[in-house]
Amino acid sequence: MQLLPEQIMGILPFGGVGAEVVASLIAAAIIGTIMLTNTALAGPWAKRKITAAFTDRIAVNRIGPFGLLIIVADAVRLLSKELIVPEGVDRPAWDLAPLIIASTALLGFSVIPMGSIVGINMHLADPEAGLALVFAFASMASVGLVMAGYASNNKFSFLGGLRAVAQNLAYEIPLILTGVSVVIFAETLQMSEIVAAQQETLFTVAGIAVPSWYAIVNPFAFVLFVIANLAEVGRNPFDIPEAPTEIVAGYQTEYSSVYFVLIYLGEFIHIFLGGAIIATLFLGGPAGPALPGFIWFMIKIWAVFLFTQWARSAVPRVRIDQLIEIGWKGMLVLAFANLFLTAVIVGVVL
Amino acid sequence: MVNPWIAIGALAVVAVVIPVSMMVVSSLLRPSVPETSKRATYESGEVPTGSSRAIRFNIQYYMVALLFVVFDIETVLIFPWTVVYDDAIDKVGLFRALGPMVLFIGILVVGLAWAWRNGAVEWVRSPRADRQRTEQQT
Repeated sequence: MQLLPEQIMGILPFGGVGAEVVASLIAAAIIGTIMLTNTALAGPWAKRKITAAFTDRIAVNRIGPFGLLIIVADAVRLLSKELIVPEGVDRPAWDLAPLIIASTALLGFSVIPMGSIVGINMHLADPEAGLALVFAFASMASVGLVMAGYASNNKFSFLGGLRAVAQNLAYEIPLILTGVSVVIFAETLQMSEIVAAQQETLFTVAGIAVPSWYAIVNPFAFVLFVIANLAEVGRNPFDIPEAPTEIVAGYQTEYSSVYFVLIYLGEFIHIFLGGAIIATLFLGGPAGPALPGFIWFMIKIWAVFLFTQWARSAVPRVRIDQLIEIGWKGMLVLAFANLFLTAVIVGVVL
Repeated sequence: MVNPWIAIGALAVVAVVIPVSMMVVSSLLRPSVPETSKRATYESGEVPTGSSRAIRFNIQYYMVALLFVVFDIETVLIFPWTVVYDDAIDKVGLFRALGPMVLFIGILVVGLAWAWRNGAVEWVRSPRADRQRTEQQT
């Protein structure tokens, strides 16, 4: 199936490199808009509703149906707030950090196959190194966190930045090692091929064909990946970089107005990006019965989002020393064991 | 066929243009009334003391970063191996496809065990923080 830029290029009245660039820009704007809409729905509205449901409260319900217009109200409110620039901030770094956090997470969606709806294939690009690329984009947000922590000239921000580094370093390696254990089955880093490899029937139970989604083939790797992903996106039990009850708000303490919006936005896009990686690697990407692929893809990333919100409400935060021990002594060893066992089983059995 | 790197570059442009346009819109809307006390960095309502950049932090942050460099390079080297592994079994046999990688990971696991034994992944508590501790630690 043709990718989104190619489909758009087909209806453009001109050809050549110019058409490639224009078609790519239109396609990129569509993908960007879809993900920002998801984030706008998740950040000011769905998160409050979900948290309220977990804690037995009624959240935003005054403005619009189900309080949905709170999204517009919050956007206007936050963008028109005064931007307070604290004394002694490291100016270029302090301004760049929110930009990096927001853009790099969005950039990760360039290689994610989001499935098709009414004949339009929501997939921007499919390079051969897709999986390596998406891991690279996903981990670039740490740079923004460190810049924000250091440049703010605030002790809480600095501690939050340090914690963010320690956490991302400890969980990056288990995340990638369990991610590549999937590649041993799929034999490729191309995202569309990884999805295609999961469509074969694994076994049939009572007439229902169970597809060989890697979450079913290797549930151990799936669990490890989901836990490491929680740390990667900085949600409970691994939210110590922010830790509102300990260090105010960590690296985002000194950010107000539009910069706060960008950091907040970046975090939510990052959660969705984590969900997209989980869906692509372990849950068959956009595959599913009856409904169009794009709808299934959205259901899967929202399911992962709901899981992170459940963890946020239900699981207590770990301490920094526990975090390091779980990461380096537990997750890393288990990730190595998973990779080794997968390689042996693939070599001996298949 | 559209070059995938042009498409990724296009998303990079979009991903920068959207936040920047938000900043521009916000700069047109928002007031700017800087005051000395407002611009002070937040320190729980107290007057900020000392520099935030000269803060002394736990050595452990440095230790885990050092350990990370080794393992990160290792994951980069594992990537191509996982792609060719299944083909390599057919061509050169299981032992020659898996053996070198087991040796390579084995060396790193020995390294991790050494770091573990020497307390590089153990959280070091500063003696001063221990003296200041008022709660009874069990």
